Amino acid sequence: MKWLTAVTLLAVLPRAAVAAVAAPAAPPCEACHGAHGEGMAAAHVPRLAGQAADYLQKQLDDYAQGRRDNPVMNNFAKQLTPQQRAQFAARYAAMSAPYLAQTAALDAVRLARGHKLAHQGDETKRVPACDGCHGPDGTGVPHAAPYLAGQSAEYLAGALKAFQQGTRKNDAGELMRSVAERLDDADVAAVSGYFGSLSGAPDH
Amino acid sequence: MPALAQRLKEVDVVIVGVGMVGSIVAKELAAAGYQVVGLERGQARFTVPEFQSPAIHDELRFSVRKALMQDSALETQTFRNQASQVALPIRRLESFLPGTGLGGSMVHWNGQTWRFTRSDFRLATHVRERYGKSFLDPELTIQDWGVTYEDLEPHYDRFEYLLGTSGKAGNIQGRILAGGDPHEAPRSREYPTPPQKELFQGAIFRKAASSLGYHPFTQPSSNLSQPYTNPEGMKLNACVFCGFCERHACEHYAKSTPQTVILPVLLANPRFELRTGCQVQRINLDSTRQHATGVSYVDAAGREFEQPASLVITSAFALNNVRMLLLSGIGTPYDPATGKGVVGRNYSYQTTSNVASFFDADTHINPFMASGSSGTVINDFAADNFDHGGLGFIGGAYVGAVNSNGRPIQYHPVPPGTPAWGKSWKQAVVKHYNHTVMTSIHGSSVSQRQNFLDLDPTYRDAWGQPLLRMTFDFPANDLRMSAYITNKAVDIGKAMGATQVAGNPRNGPYTSTQYQSTHNTGGAVMGDDPNTSVVNRYLQSWDVSNVFVIGASAYPQNASWNPTGTLGALTYWAVDALKNKYLKSPGRLVPA
Repeated sequence: MKWLTAVTLLAVLPRAAVAAVAAPAAPPCEACHGAHGEGMAAAHVPRLAGQAADYLQKQLDDYAQGRRDNPVMNNFAKQLTPQQRAQFAARYAAMSAPYLAQTAALDAVRLARGHKLAHQGDETKRVPACDGCHGPDGTGVPHAAPYLAGQSAEYLAGALKAFQQGTRKNDAGELMRSVAERLDDADVAAVSGYFGSLSGAPDH
Repeated sequence: MPALAQRLKEVDVVIVGVGMVGSIVAKELAAAGYQVVGLERGQARFTVPEFQSPAIHDELRFSVRKALMQDSALETQTFRNQASQVALPIRRLESFLPGTGLGGSMVHWNGQTWRFTRSDFRLATHVRERYGKSFLDPELTIQDWGVTYEDLEPHYDRFEYLLGTSGKAGNIQGRILAGGDPHEAPRSREYPTPPQKELFQGAIFRKAASSLGYHPFTQPSSNLSQPYTNPEGMKLNACVFCGFCERHACEHYAKSTPQTVILPVLLANPRFELRTGCQVQRINLDSTRQHATGVSYVDAAGREFEQPASLVITSAFALNNVRMLLLSGIGTPYDPATGKGVVGRNYSYQTTSNVASFFDADTHINPFMASGSSGTVINDFAADNFDHGGLGFIGGAYVGAVNSNGRPIQYHPVPPGTPAWGKSWKQAVVKHYNHTVMTSIHGSSVSQRQNFLDLDPTYRDAWGQPLLRMTFDFPANDLRMSAYITNKAVDIGKAMGATQVAGNPRNGPYTSTQYQSTHNTGGAVMGDDPNTSVVNRYLQSWDVSNVFVIGASAYPQNASWNPTGTLGALTYWAVDALKNKYLKSPGRLVPA
């Protein structure tokens, strides 16, 4: 998965952005994450606008220190000082951006399954509702959990797969790994698609 | 009640109350090939959907209005301090909170998972040996349990591994280990998962307690520190410190409850049948009064049924176990005037108190960030871990920074002298909410002649049955214990660097209108002598050998620690006796 992501990312990176990798002063976040932090859903690039600053900073720190794996992001994050990482996190947390249209519409069955996992959970699989940690309608709980509503469905599915396969391990208390390992492919597609179909809180 | 109850097909085992005890017994006996029916008075409920947030974090509904507890409009207890008073019904549960519904009271517990120590199980003998025959107040009725710590150790171990309890051993097979409790009785192996994270208040407490020469450690917790798969194959998650543990249920599969550790396995067994909404009225006896034929119950639609069974297990909340025996006429009711009789005798409780340590505005405690069981504690004053010579009491308490929540409606510590309402109170709450450490003193409770349970002569439940009557006040022994140990906790508060330290030792009389503890114990106690116990060392009724009474109702007196760990150990101990002794050859396991 991570290689696929990286290849996809590199494929869509403008030439200027790739060149800028060498220039530590201005990592080209915008090239992929958009001028307003809107992300690039089809390329698995997450939306960052309005995401909690401490979540973003933790991810940058984890990329820099190798606790989260993504060749592109590892490379950029390493070039930043801790202070710069905090600044970038704060900048994206303060942004707001329009929500992008979803790349693929979900059928009603998947939407219903996604809605159930998001708001109710699944007792037979021992999966608690996503909302329990990620806030009402997946709008996020600052300091605790990132928002999911309006996030790129492709990115969310990739993140769940990474937790499932253990290629992403920077979740506190293994909380996401515990949940993701109990989901099957249809669940991952349903719940990612469901959150992707939502618009987030107005200030995101 | 209709004259004709519908008589159902006989089963091997009927279980009254499907909480943790009922779930374990049912699971083991159904797996051993027996047909088991579990009767639960409350509703079926599971982590999904019933316990999901945000609804489960509704403090008004669950903490204040107590949605998970026994419905006192249907059944409650009556209460009085002394036999000379008229008992009145507890119409609003406050001082203790028996749960109802599938999973029982462990759904709303805090996960504090302790073992009692060696001397607890032979308390009367131990006190006589160490302090002499005349040390005890004459009204005390403490006695030995009929089992030893060594008998129960493998069963404590099994229960802790079922729950996945997080902790650090202080004594493995006699080797004292750094980081654990050096006072604990030896355990056969390490806890299944490492200890919970320490809170800031715990770190302050640890430093102060160490400076005074005590031995602080992180309390064992069945809100887990990391994911865990138990021997039943059930997977649990790590606790997220949400601060809505006791009185609430866990939405995260992180608190060990019947729902998270065993019920799915039990419910998958076709030899087990769960019936909810079933209010058991009595255990039926044959004409000899020495053999049970089953139970009678009323379902949620008001229909009466008779469920015949070869074996009856009552595994309700401790108080309700005692009431079931009294309603069924099993065993001789206790008479405090003569000291004769056993059912209802030796009701005991828990003697709790606290110390509030108020800090300056720069010390941020963040009390809302809490697990049900992530305190830092000492056992230097628990049980007989210190010399009681000259102190005039027996028993003890664990002391620690054990604060499980900072919920907005009910948590607002203020210094003594603060007005109880109005502007000054509000200002004090704002000033102290985030800058206070509550130290808890969790103390033992001795049994004494005047404290007992019986059936109320006046008040009845929604089904027309007499309520249980509680006659209880704090024994003088326990008030002396509370005063002594609360003072020690005040010293720790001062050593923590608080600007003001307020000790609140337990004072009598006992009141049912202030929350203290849900650790109601005794009333159907175990022992070696049928004249002073209701059940034998295997929790089998002395009078009716095909009735087992499993619960904290079996404790002859209560120890310094939360009772659930010991209850789990006793459950597996009884299950072992059922499977390997009783069911192979039904009859009395101990000659009377």
